[in-house]
Amino acid sequence: MNWPPMLMHIKIKNKNTKFGLWLPLFLLFPLALVIFIILSPLILIAVIVLWHTGWGKLALFSLKAAFVACWSLRGLKVDVQGPNECVSISII
Amino acid sequence: MSDNRKKILEMLAQNKISADEAYRLLSAIDVGEVGPRDSGREGQLKSETSIKSKPRYLRVTVTPGDKHVDPEHADRVNVRVPMSLIRAGIKLTALIPPEALDKANNALKEKGINFDVRSIKSETIEELIDALGDMQVDVQSARGDNIKVFVE
Repeated sequence: MNWPPMLMHIKIKNKNTKFGLWLPLFLLFPLALVIFIILSPLILIAVIVLWHTGWGKLALFSLKAAFVACWSLRGLKVDVQGPNECVSISII
Repeated sequence: MSDNRKKILEMLAQNKISADEAYRLLSAIDVGEVGPRDSGREGQLKSETSIKSKPRYLRVTVTPGDKHVDPEHADRVNVRVPMSLIRAGIKLTALIPPEALDKANNALKEKGINFDVRSIKSETIEELIDALGDMQVDVQSARGDNIKVFVE
């Protein structure tokens, strides 16, 4: 089973700044769920209204695709180190 | 510990190979050792599944090589992209408007790449991802950077 991302670590380092952040994504899930539940009637109405134009289906598909993309972020790692700066993003 | 493992660890300690390369070599040894250790059909099956296991990550690394002009000031890049994200990303291409696809195709043509972005379909992506398992790209730049693209 594919687990959703739980933590996000961002690290930026250069001559002037040194910044590191651990973002607990698992704490944001309930918040996102609440927002989605609140907005779902509006989304549903928009999808029904736009269904005959073709945009409704597209909107529904994009919602699903965005959700799948967010779910698949676990394991992503980008680490770029230059002579004077370093940027690192990892999703665990 | 087998001789091969010891050699790999020695090479890593002497900085002859990177940690990534050591990991990949040790993984390759693990796959090779499944057969002799587990005799019979079960061992053969285990070996086949290990070799044919689906790639999980696409890796892109840029490291300064031995002949790098200035290794201390060289750029280092280490990117690991989950295959599931690539699959999701390709499905997202269905949302790109046709005008934007035309622009992307034209931009690619200008760069000398004759490729139609529309030909990327989610049905064919599984085949492509399976084929990526056999792929490794090694490039050494004029500055001495080693660029590697592989899956693991």
